Amino acid sequence: MNWARATSGYDEIFDSEGRPRPHYAPLISILESFTKEDVERRERLQKLALLNQGITFTVYGEKEGLERIFPFDFVPRIIPPAEWKTIQDGLVQRITTLNLFLLDVYQEQRCLKDRVIPPELVLSRTEYKRELLGLTPPKKVFTHVVGTDLIRGESGEYLVLEDNCRCPSGVSYVLENRTLLNRVFPEFFASYPVRPVKEYPTLLLDTLLFVAPRPSQSPVVVVLSPGIHNSAYFEHSFLAREMGVPLVEGRDLLVEGNHVFMRRTHGKRQVDVIYRRIDDDFLDPLTFQRDSLLGVPGLINVYREGNVALANAPGAGVADDKSVYAFMPSLIKYYLGEDALLPQVPTYLGFRKDDFKYISEHLDQLVVKTTGDAGGYGMLMGPFASAREREAHLAAMRKNPGNYIAQPLVQLSTHPTHIEGKFEPRRVDLRPFILYGDRIRVLPGGLTRVALREGSYVVNSSQGGGSKDTWVLAPREP
Amino acid sequence: MILSRVADGLYWMGRYLERAENTTRLLLVTEELSTEVLGLDEHLARCEWDDLRAIFPGFSEDEPPARHLAGLAAVTLLGLAIDPENRYSVFYSLKKARDNARSVREALTLECFINLNETYRELEGYNRRRLSDPATFRTAMQVAHRGILSAVGAIEHTLTRDAGWLFLKLGESFERVFRTSVILRIKLPALVATEPKIDLPLFYSQWRSLLRGLSSLENYRKVFGARLEPIDVLQFLLFDAQTPRSVRYGVTAVKEYLDRISSASDLSQSVRIVGKLAAELSYQGHDLIREGQSLSFLDHVLVELGRTHDAVSTVYFGT
Repeated sequence: MNWARATSGYDEIFDSEGRPRPHYAPLISILESFTKEDVERRERLQKLALLNQGITFTVYGEKEGLERIFPFDFVPRIIPPAEWKTIQDGLVQRITTLNLFLLDVYQEQRCLKDRVIPPELVLSRTEYKRELLGLTPPKKVFTHVVGTDLIRGESGEYLVLEDNCRCPSGVSYVLENRTLLNRVFPEFFASYPVRPVKEYPTLLLDTLLFVAPRPSQSPVVVVLSPGIHNSAYFEHSFLAREMGVPLVEGRDLLVEGNHVFMRRTHGKRQVDVIYRRIDDDFLDPLTFQRDSLLGVPGLINVYREGNVALANAPGAGVADDKSVYAFMPSLIKYYLGEDALLPQVPTYLGFRKDDFKYISEHLDQLVVKTTGDAGGYGMLMGPFASAREREAHLAAMRKNPGNYIAQPLVQLSTHPTHIEGKFEPRRVDLRPFILYGDRIRVLPGGLTRVALREGSYVVNSSQGGGSKDTWVLAPREP
Repeated sequence: MILSRVADGLYWMGRYLERAENTTRLLLVTEELSTEVLGLDEHLARCEWDDLRAIFPGFSEDEPPARHLAGLAAVTLLGLAIDPENRYSVFYSLKKARDNARSVREALTLECFINLNETYRELEGYNRRRLSDPATFRTAMQVAHRGILSAVGAIEHTLTRDAGWLFLKLGESFERVFRTSVILRIKLPALVATEPKIDLPLFYSQWRSLLRGLSSLENYRKVFGARLEPIDVLQFLLFDAQTPRSVRYGVTAVKEYLDRISSASDLSQSVRIVGKLAAELSYQGHDLIREGQSLSFLDHVLVELGRTHDAVSTVYFGT
């Protein structure tokens, strides 16, 4: 077997001497025992399984309805118990803070009055929904499901890259990747105490039931999807199936007498909790975007009356704004009186004059992101852009500086990945999933996304990324 | 009790899956008969292709059918096999069945979806050029046929018998009886007009291929023996109570699924229409056939089936 070493960034498997890190040693010796042909045969098997099971996502901007499989790399990412403990504690602290921040900005706005974060920065965001000012969501939970993206710096420390507080996707791949790896390389599992991830749908259902307005009357939970053409449709359908609840589209729901119902073949039935995978703006044409056909007219009114719970709560998107991110360490200190357990990437805000000056002078060293966008869209990778691209981007930024932030390029750790018969280093990130119900739970695992193109930093599925099974190891008995 | 949209999706999944099966089978049977009689009676071979185009009216009006028989056969075969634009092609039906299955995946078992998806993907792998080779064509259609039957088997053996299953089976039964009626309506005028004296073996091979086209040849023999009398075949395909592709069997199946779907207190419009039709098929049909009214009776059946479908759509799918 041929293992190429990383030339930059932290190598997840090999130390600086080129020796495998202890928790990877058994995996390497198992992989070395396979022939090249054997590995290739199993890889073919694995691709076929993905296609036949229809585990696909839809790519926008290409031929309509084009389904692709999310490429899967079979070399698992392994996280030892101590490392996971750090991640988990840091995430619980972070999600607690995000939720407190949301409760605050929609109620008393203490953090704004105390200038922990500039009020104009929060209030000007389109994700900040002033229609919801003064409204407390059921059980005071805004962020029922969060996916936080982590990367690793040069020395292997985990850094928070961003939080996703709206409709984070990818958890279905976490579960399917485990099933797939188990089927194709069962040998891997014999030497490792891998913590299971399969209980996620049960935990998600518990999280949703926790906020039901009629807890005594076996509440009805549904998953609300924009429909079959959405890129994450497979996941919506998967979660509904795994939880055993109906998958609905906006047209399946109607509002009558301040309650939400679903249209069934024999009359309607009241709905209590909606796990919505539709953005705020499309939820209710009467409150938000008027021309939206995806949502349910009158839904927000019912929500306001407390007759339906929405997860995540509308308005939560402001918490994962990229400029709010810059203030997270201060917000953690402010609400919890603690230092942030997980460090994050230094961030320059276009909205600050000094920062903008720095950004414009160092554009060739920075990654520029727009504050509202997700999925790697609207991003400029300064170090790899041409002078002309940087100029054009800067011109656009000058028109609305507040919409941009910039961060130094972090190398990202690399992980050996099977590419055309060889194991080559490819950059990875990690998205753990956090559920906020009666308490905060972090799923022991996560989505490791990998940039399959050599040298690439972009791990998004829409832009040539793949994924890996992610193992969190259980502590061994002493 | 299920979502109207899900009921709609399952109903159409059942219809398209059944339609794909019908088209595949008729393509195989027609291709075989036409090859067999080509040297003997070109007119008959041409009629077979014209009938097929009338049974599955997915060809564009702008395109006049080819004048040469070989051209007509090739265009019809390929069009009905894999043309994505032809609304009655096997490929189109499978794609629709799969689209519907994807949209209601949470109502299906993994086995149902995988079987359907694999069959679709297999056919997707062929193109016009490859299918122009007759041997490849037959293999492709046989593989598709097997795949469809295994998807149907997965439905039979893994799906829970809830409201969703009833709507899926309703769609399947409806499509089946509707297509049988269409086939009979289109084939009958020529069949009953043909004089058996001219060429007896040829005459019988048409009736035999009709039965085979409806997967009913063996079933017919069990009732009437090997002898093919036109009146017996007609009676069998219309009124036999046991063969799954007779009109009577199909209408009764539609009625039974609708009975189970509608609650006892509310006898919905669709049940009333199809109930009357089932009674006519059981008690009145034989007389009409003897009186030579088979064509007008089939027209009546088709109209009533159309009304049934409309009533189901209005009441249960809200469309």
